[in-house]
Amino acid sequence: MRAREPDIEGYVDHDGVPVYYEVHGTGEPTLMLIPAAPITHSRMWKALVPDLARRYRIITIDGRGNGRSGRPTDPESHSRAANVADIVAVLDATDTDRAVLVAHCHANGWAIEAIAANPARVSALVAIDPGIPYLGKPQPHWVETGPHWGEVIENPSGWQLNNRHAITTQHRRWVEFFFGEQLVEPHSTKQYEDAVSWALESTGEILAAGDDGFEIDFPDRETVEAVCRDLRIPTLVIHGDLDVCQHVERGKTFAEITGGELIVIEGAGHLPLAREPVKVNRAITKFVDRIEGVPMRQHTWRRGLSRRKRVLYVSSPIGLGHARRDVAIAKELRKLRPDLEIDWLAQDPVTRVLEAEGETIHPASEWLASESAHFASEATGHDLHCFQALRRMDEILVANFMIFQEVMEEGLYDLSLGDEAWDIDHFWHENPELKRGDHVWMTDFVGFLPMPSGGDHEEYLTADYNAEMIEHIARYPRIRDLALFVGSPDDIVPEVFGPGLPKIRDWTEEHFQFSGYITGFEPPTDDEMASWRSQLGYGEDEKVCVVTVGGSGVGRDLLEKVIAAYPLAKQSMPELRMVVVAGPRIDPAGLPTHDGLEYHGYVHGLYRHLAACDLAIVQGGLTTTMELAATRTPFLYFPLRNHFEQNYHVRHRLDRYRAGRYMEYAVTEPEAIAAEIIARAGAPVDYLPVETDGAAKAAKMIADLI
Amino acid sequence: MRARHPDSEGFVESEGLSIGYEVFGGGDVTLLLLPTWTIIHSRFWKLQVPYLARHFRVITYDGPGNGRSDRTVEPQMYSLAAQTSHAIDVMDATDTAEAVLVSLSMGSMWSLMLAANQPDRVLGQVFIGPSLPITPPAAARAGIEDAFWAEQIAPQGWDKYNAHYWQTNYEDFAEFFFSECFPESHSTKQREDCVGWAMETTSEVLVAKARVDDVNHETVVDWCRRVTSPALVIHGDDDRISPLSRARRLAEATGGSLVTVQGGGHIPLARDPVLVNLLIKDFADRLPGRQKTPA
Repeated sequence: MRAREPDIEGYVDHDGVPVYYEVHGTGEPTLMLIPAAPITHSRMWKALVPDLARRYRIITIDGRGNGRSGRPTDPESHSRAANVADIVAVLDATDTDRAVLVAHCHANGWAIEAIAANPARVSALVAIDPGIPYLGKPQPHWVETGPHWGEVIENPSGWQLNNRHAITTQHRRWVEFFFGEQLVEPHSTKQYEDAVSWALESTGEILAAGDDGFEIDFPDRETVEAVCRDLRIPTLVIHGDLDVCQHVERGKTFAEITGGELIVIEGAGHLPLAREPVKVNRAITKFVDRIEGVPMRQHTWRRGLSRRKRVLYVSSPIGLGHARRDVAIAKELRKLRPDLEIDWLAQDPVTRVLEAEGETIHPASEWLASESAHFASEATGHDLHCFQALRRMDEILVANFMIFQEVMEEGLYDLSLGDEAWDIDHFWHENPELKRGDHVWMTDFVGFLPMPSGGDHEEYLTADYNAEMIEHIARYPRIRDLALFVGSPDDIVPEVFGPGLPKIRDWTEEHFQFSGYITGFEPPTDDEMASWRSQLGYGEDEKVCVVTVGGSGVGRDLLEKVIAAYPLAKQSMPELRMVVVAGPRIDPAGLPTHDGLEYHGYVHGLYRHLAACDLAIVQGGLTTTMELAATRTPFLYFPLRNHFEQNYHVRHRLDRYRAGRYMEYAVTEPEAIAAEIIARAGAPVDYLPVETDGAAKAAKMIADLI
Repeated sequence: MRARHPDSEGFVESEGLSIGYEVFGGGDVTLLLLPTWTIIHSRFWKLQVPYLARHFRVITYDGPGNGRSDRTVEPQMYSLAAQTSHAIDVMDATDTAEAVLVSLSMGSMWSLMLAANQPDRVLGQVFIGPSLPITPPAAARAGIEDAFWAEQIAPQGWDKYNAHYWQTNYEDFAEFFFSECFPESHSTKQREDCVGWAMETTSEVLVAKARVDDVNHETVVDWCRRVTSPALVIHGDDDRISPLSRARRLAEATGGSLVTVQGGGHIPLARDPVLVNLLIKDFADRLPGRQKTPA
């Protein structure tokens, strides 16, 4: 799912090639983001658009040859003049009198020609790793391979692939090599995958035509330098010093010749817009605000000594799991620090719980891109690849981090509490100078683990993510003032982070404090349980089986399988009653009906049903299964396929508590489910007791920081 | 020892008076830090000058009646017209075609009048604790101008704002006044500094200044209407000299930004210098067209 959808979409077409554009937001001024087509398209800007569009009006353009634009194969259609005409046509089509241009790589060549020809239409230029011919020095591999562009090279390799014939016939090889070289930063797997996949939406023939087209009517050095000198608008150059496409000297020279500002990002390659999005977003915002004279927003600053202590609580919005434990921690925290102000930066559905509890939701919450909707969109059937879903959430995480950062800076919070708030943890380690206040990181699992279906590549990816996390914490131990593991050391899986990396348990014990599990509720007494059972109308002589798949749309497949087991089980267990809670997003219409089987869209106080029933059948999420462990309810749980957390971390923990019966959805037939229902409904359990002091313990450790 | 000494200093003849000015640093943009009520002089900018001068050209001068400027007791030398002339004369003497005006308290009136009447010389305005009749004064200070000339016996509080009392108890008044200016706890040094600067002038000077008629509400509103350059207003919500409502109205009327200092008094530039320094720099950096374009 995208972090932000466009407000307007359209095409211009001035020479038979449709060129796609999007408009995001309505602020001022307008910024037009111009990608280095045709090797990429407008999605290259995905980490910047949501943040910039909150302030400015953003126009993105898919350059001809990629994205949703036309795919001409002749070089003439890729001339600089044609690309410049596209820029002007999109300005016209969007009624944009004047814009700031933001261009990457050789798109800056088009940008300066567009400005030279239309000086009144452009108020400033942000040139990211600009590829302006002649300036500074070229990379040697371009100089070496340029003369052989038109030849046919036998078995080309490396930079030799920069050749019309090689690019045309071995497009993927070239693209993979090229972006492999550009992403010099470690842990860039996602940026690499993105860049390659966008490039492959076009073809080698088009890419070669793009290169040939750029050379048509190629200006001489004097002309290019004169154009740069005469731009007469403010410029900002952002350039990685390890850029192997455009030498950093090129960016420096462009800044010098235009009298502009220069930000060199040390250690960065050619794609800082993807690899350093926080830095680039902030640099662009600062520049645009300044040169456009955007007034500072109204704000209030409270003198240090007259501030009350304030906490910003960021509760993970992926499902409802964390909301209840976070509320429980907040309540315990207030007992220890009665004057504490707690604001919540949270999304639906967490905000529903918070509103019901009377908690204060920060108004910026409504700007957040929905992580919950993203995860829902990633699920199919009884399958959710949560590691890849998290990776694909990258643009949402950047967008939401930028909001969090603003809230922290303006709200003068003493402390931020992030319950699996991945964006804060990741981007504060990536941009440690931005940290504000103390930070508490909370999680109930440590370590990304590969699923077998992902093979060697997923092993490599999970190890790379784990390694980055370990390096983050080793380099910047000051980011996490407290790292809280919601559980006990025994809950940690007996695995390693990856080849050559530490054992997860050893490392976690060294870097975390342990609160024990936090259910967020007091387990009911036997008397309460009996009274709930009668209140809910569950008879003494009935065996009640509650089936629930939570509030997500994921789960219809599981419901169908379990319902198919019902008549089979009912034959041997006539007292069986099945209560199916389909949740608000699954329509029970179309599901089979049987005597003794009932459907509910939503039940108030689901936990009472789960506590009072004879058997629960659920997915493999931690919160629900641990609630069942705490109430000592017999249950079957079916982890979602490819969900490493449910299949490894949660299962390991439940095994430790001797709680629940693990079921593998894919290989379990209704007959087997029926047999488990008959065997377990109402049967005694020998679960280990679940802690009840976790929230208080966590609150004590947090309070020590405040 | 001063944290930063001026790079040049001098005196300019203005309306027949000698006005002492100082220039610090260099840069494309000049900040003119205006004087305020002459009970204190240009040293009240001491926490701003060293920082701002690293980024901008900064000019300060002493208003008539204090610092290195003449201690005239001629009331007209303290009039609006005279005060704005002093500012323009200092700008001319330092070859300053245009500047950002930064003012404290009643300096806001001279800043506004200049920005309205000579817009080509004003790049923008920063108002700190502006005191001007754009909304009514604080309740505790209502009517003090009327009681100013009346003889009083053992006045307390704002009744000490009194020409007769000053003749014999000027220092006591200064101590009272600056304790009102700094309601923030732990402000001993800031109060001492201000009282010390107050002792460099005399009650006669302040009485002379008090004989000048204040500007009226309509004029201030008209100035605001005519201002075209950006504005920033910084104001404490515990300002006991000039209420926060004035800052709000001034920001509205000039289309400017407002920063409220919660728990702050009348002189945040002394009590919260880091905040004020960063805000002034940010404001000056955001002036339209700040980046130099090549010739």
